[in-house]
Amino acid sequence: MDFVSDTVVLSRMQFALTASIHMLWPTLTTGVGIYLVIIEGLWLKTRNTDYYYHARFWAKLYALNFGVGVATGIPMEFQFGTNWAPFSEATGNFFGSVIGFEASWAFMLEAAFLGIMLFGWERVNPAIHYLSTILVAIGANLSTVWILTANSWMQSPAGGEMVDGKFIVHDYFQAIANPFMAKSVLHMFLATLETSLFVIGGISAWYILKQRHTGFFAKSFKIALAATIAIAPLQIYAGHLSAEQVYHYQPAKLAAMEAQWNTIPAGQSASWSLLALPNNLTEQNDWELAIPNGLGYILELKEKLTEPVLGLKEWEPQDRPRLVGLIYYAFRTMVGIGFLLAGLMAGTVLFWLLGKLSEENITQQRWLMWVWMFAAPLGFVAIDTGWIVRCVGRQPWTLYNQIRTVDSASHIPPSNVLVSLTAFTITYLLLLVAYMYFGSRIIRRGPRFDLLIPGTDPNKPAIKTAPGEFVSDERPVEAQQ
Amino acid sequence: METLEYFLPQVWFGILALFLFLYVMLDGFDLGVGILSLTSSTEERRGILMTSLSNIWDANETWLVLMGGGLFGAFPLAYSTILSALYIPIILMVFGFIFRAVAFEFREQATRKFVWNLSFGIGSFMAALGQGFALGAVLKGIQVDEAGHFIGGTWDWLSWQTILVALTLIQGYVLIGSTYLVWKTTDELQTTHYRTAKIAAWTTLIGAIFITISTPIFYESAREKLFQEPLIYIFAIIPIAGVVLIWQLLSSLNRKEERAPFIWTILLFVLTFIGLALVVFPYIIPTRITIYEASADPSSLVIMIIFIGFLIPVMLFYNLYQYIVFRGKITTEHYGEG
Repeated sequence: MDFVSDTVVLSRMQFALTASIHMLWPTLTTGVGIYLVIIEGLWLKTRNTDYYYHARFWAKLYALNFGVGVATGIPMEFQFGTNWAPFSEATGNFFGSVIGFEASWAFMLEAAFLGIMLFGWERVNPAIHYLSTILVAIGANLSTVWILTANSWMQSPAGGEMVDGKFIVHDYFQAIANPFMAKSVLHMFLATLETSLFVIGGISAWYILKQRHTGFFAKSFKIALAATIAIAPLQIYAGHLSAEQVYHYQPAKLAAMEAQWNTIPAGQSASWSLLALPNNLTEQNDWELAIPNGLGYILELKEKLTEPVLGLKEWEPQDRPRLVGLIYYAFRTMVGIGFLLAGLMAGTVLFWLLGKLSEENITQQRWLMWVWMFAAPLGFVAIDTGWIVRCVGRQPWTLYNQIRTVDSASHIPPSNVLVSLTAFTITYLLLLVAYMYFGSRIIRRGPRFDLLIPGTDPNKPAIKTAPGEFVSDERPVEAQQ
Repeated sequence: METLEYFLPQVWFGILALFLFLYVMLDGFDLGVGILSLTSSTEERRGILMTSLSNIWDANETWLVLMGGGLFGAFPLAYSTILSALYIPIILMVFGFIFRAVAFEFREQATRKFVWNLSFGIGSFMAALGQGFALGAVLKGIQVDEAGHFIGGTWDWLSWQTILVALTLIQGYVLIGSTYLVWKTTDELQTTHYRTAKIAAWTTLIGAIFITISTPIFYESAREKLFQEPLIYIFAIIPIAGVVLIWQLLSSLNRKEERAPFIWTILLFVLTFIGLALVVFPYIIPTRITIYEASADPSSLVIMIIFIGFLIPVMLFYNLYQYIVFRGKITTEHYGEG
């Protein structure tokens, strides 16, 4: 129990806990936000009321999700100051500004138009409403861009140098477009989208299994499925690109991801480890199951490597990640889920092509629907394990090769952090439980088909009794109330 | 270049003051309504109170997030020193925000609303209390070494002066919350909040008088500044103007006006804010570190003016648009699919 007296460890635990639980909600806000844009677009284009009720139903889950996302997200911004003051002071010139950009570009846009999107159906005309839905989705996704820019810069600091313990920026745009930025943004963007699509597909599958509104939910199931055809394989490719950049810029992290203790020289073949028991003390894997030549094919599509793969022993123990086992298994979990979801997509598409997903047949695909239901949470697991690889693998640095984690934490009494960590743990777990309870309640109640279609006011019958008195109201909808 | 190094931090001091003011005004009535909800006699009334905030609380709170991000980028030293020095009040505020924010959707879905009513009311109170202590502690001064790093104790923020500031801030929030409800509600609910507004106006006045008198007596640094020419004239005018505004506010409440009380309260907030800004300036960690010492690189400040500053009119526009869309009295206790 040494950690209870160590502010650095406690602050790390607090950040890891709040970040990994918080991450679950923005994932859906960004991904489902895009889905809502598609659904509302279909409603405006086809005037099929099913799409309108879809927009209302998913927006209800969206609102629940958004509230918890904001609640759990606010502590993230303040923690940089409360728990990581030396880091914040040293990197404020760039990192601080980017956090500010996120608030001004993304949060305000999202927050201001969310109200109109959720409650404004009767108050603004359809074009403004649709614009609001689009702006909410843009706002949410701009958040991904800025946060991933900030984090990528921590992985591959660029655009300036450390002078007297502070990062001085020479070229802002070089710092923003740091080596990790573009591929990381793409990988995260696809991750939120893919996870959201499998959540939508999984919830729709539940209704189909229960034979409730089967035709209605077959629509959302197929929209989600159609989108995963492009997204799931693309994400595997984006993941590969991300691993490549780790190989080039953070070889110590790659070595931890592969539990590779010894360097493999160029010109040799390298096996890819499937399962292993890494041991930090003896600096080797106690036990290992590996695929011969696998690593060569993964990294270079060749049997023999043209560049060496450095092993962990190349670095002094204080200069390399310590939790090798965690990084190793987190990486395999993420990759495994990526392939599993793509496989599920491919299998389901085959069913679709065979006509087994038509409205009459879809309820008979019981086991397929079960698989989709169980696949719904997998995206979240992949996202959190991915972040573990990214940030635990970055250790012992906060700013890669520049600022150490031990030098980044605030000098505050460990008791303070222990109390706040305990409070965060209890609160976040309770929130997670309450969120799932109310979320499943909304799902069990199902969509409401008695909602008013915008523009059809029941207080104004279309035909008045005395035709002579009828004066049509040509003012815009807002003015008619 | 010399002038630029003075000018840019001043611009950012101004921008952050604007963000903080918009936050205190907008989330002020938000938190005030939350605290007032603890006194609501029926579920229906509480429902109307929460509906009046349902579409705007989030945007209001975003001004603080924006202020936090701006402070981080423009004055990294102040951001890290103040937040780590005020660990306990900040964490208190953050938990207040969490409880409050989740209450909106959870209460709407729940059959037994008791837990979420408490979560909303107490969360609002905690957030206001944390902010009050933080404000009080910053005004009182934070112990720092020459480099601006915190060297004080964990409980430095707690003293009778900071308790006084915290209580007064809560009164101020209740006041602006009450006048907001006077504007947005009708009938009995409106009558209730005419009454709470009057009470809060008096308690705020008493708190403000104590703070105004005690500041020059107990803070040497503030005393020197307050009695300097030409500032002494301004500081002489502010309390007088404050009394005039409170008198205007009380008489508008007596005349049962609907919008004027809210506007008088906002003017009162503006006045207080100008006073505080003048006391603090040019310090960002009173009274040790100036904005010039704590500021980020000039190039960062310029980039931030381009990326954040130019967006201010746009952000103000869509905030205002939202208020226009949802104008009018609140009569329903359900938002969403009422």
